[in-house]
Amino acid sequence: MYSNNYTLGFVFIVTLVLGTMLSFTKDSVKSLQDQNLKADVQKTILRSLNFEENLLESNESIEQTFKNYIDAKCVNVEGEIVECNIEEVDIEKNEETLPIYIRMNNEKIEGIALPIAGKGLWSTIFGYIALNPDTDSVLGIQFYKHGETPGLGGEVEKKWFTDNFVNHPIKESNGEITYVPKKIRNENGKIISISVIKGGVDYSKSNKSAIHQVDGISGATVTADGVSDFLLEDLLRYEKTLDKIRDYGTI
Amino acid sequence: MELFNSESKKIISDPINVNNPISLQVLGICSALAVTIRLDQAIIMTLAVIFVLCSSNVILSLIRDYIPARVRIVIMLSVIASLVSVVDELLKAYLYDMSKQLSVFVGLIITNCIIMGRAEAFALKNSPSKAFLDGLGNGFGYGLIIIIVSFFRELFGAGTITLPDGGAGYVLWSIPESWYAAGYENIGLLVLSPGAFIILGLVIWAQREMAGIDEEA
Repeated sequence: MYSNNYTLGFVFIVTLVLGTMLSFTKDSVKSLQDQNLKADVQKTILRSLNFEENLLESNESIEQTFKNYIDAKCVNVEGEIVECNIEEVDIEKNEETLPIYIRMNNEKIEGIALPIAGKGLWSTIFGYIALNPDTDSVLGIQFYKHGETPGLGGEVEKKWFTDNFVNHPIKESNGEITYVPKKIRNENGKIISISVIKGGVDYSKSNKSAIHQVDGISGATVTADGVSDFLLEDLLRYEKTLDKIRDYGTI
Repeated sequence: MELFNSESKKIISDPINVNNPISLQVLGICSALAVTIRLDQAIIMTLAVIFVLCSSNVILSLIRDYIPARVRIVIMLSVIASLVSVVDELLKAYLYDMSKQLSVFVGLIITNCIIMGRAEAFALKNSPSKAFLDGLGNGFGYGLIIIIVSFFRELFGAGTITLPDGGAGYVLWSIPESWYAAGYENIGLLVLSPGAFIILGLVIWAQREMAGIDEEA
């Protein structure tokens, strides 16, 4: 039987050694991890804007593509451009300065990516939604950071879920099905966003809002409701900016 | 001690075959179900578990004579948890895509019963070199099973075989389009957890049959 002092001393030394080892490890790989995180965010933006996968293979090619094609700036709720350090904007609480990433091709807007973030069930979910230049139809949506349960709420980041936002089936008169993107504006041009529907979207003719709805995730209703809520809230912050782009083709 | 005398061989080979941690002792099932959707995930997970298991076994064996029995579980947990955190940080730095796919399951190596089990049952009673071999054997035993399970799950569930590389994985082989055109379909069930249970059950049956183990007898 060891004395209490010995036991306490032993535990203290073990903790000290292990703690030192951990902080040393973290310290030596921190900069690499930060680079990976930055590239991951950029990759999410590029993916939502529908860039081809072969441009997104390495951290270097991601950075290069981002530099070549993306015009990143900040706007305020009134739709005016404001000064900002775009990498340091707090995405979750962005109320004053709103980051916006525009895919440019020869001075022409090809897509607009906006950060979205909000509470799911366990965690804050971070992602980007990209719109076509009509600021109505969805070009893509991607989530890159969340702490939802893998297999349940965690499915939001999966392709089958994000594909729902760009694949709205329309049955042609000859029986063939074509796919169009979901829309965030109603007939009057007002932003009503897209809702995640528990159980799945009713695609019958009588359901006029199907174009604003996507299928939910089994076992993840709270996560899905969270996505619906913060998607609407975040899109409304950009309403004036998006109206400007729709009407004038520029901010 | 001679490294490869019959006793050492037995320490390594037993957990791979007749005393396999997954198929005989049914430990570490949680991660065996979770990370076996794709072969590359299972391979990286195996390497991570082998690293943690060998290191924790050796470290604990080295200090086994000094650990007060009253706090030995706490000490074991802190050593294992620290090693797992190191692996997690390294994956985030050098294999970022893989660490995103494995998500919480790297952290959950801490609660993998195989590691605590080997520390308590073997490392605290044996020399560091034996403890190292025991870690290696059990790591391989664990890896063998999850690699077999993930191979079948990925092949029949997703129609591909993916090996780990620096990024999102290198697709070694995938079922040709012509098969799909001819009516072949992937078995979606295998991608879900029940599919893992079924494959794992079959593997356990085959493995016990081969090792000649009969619990009824």
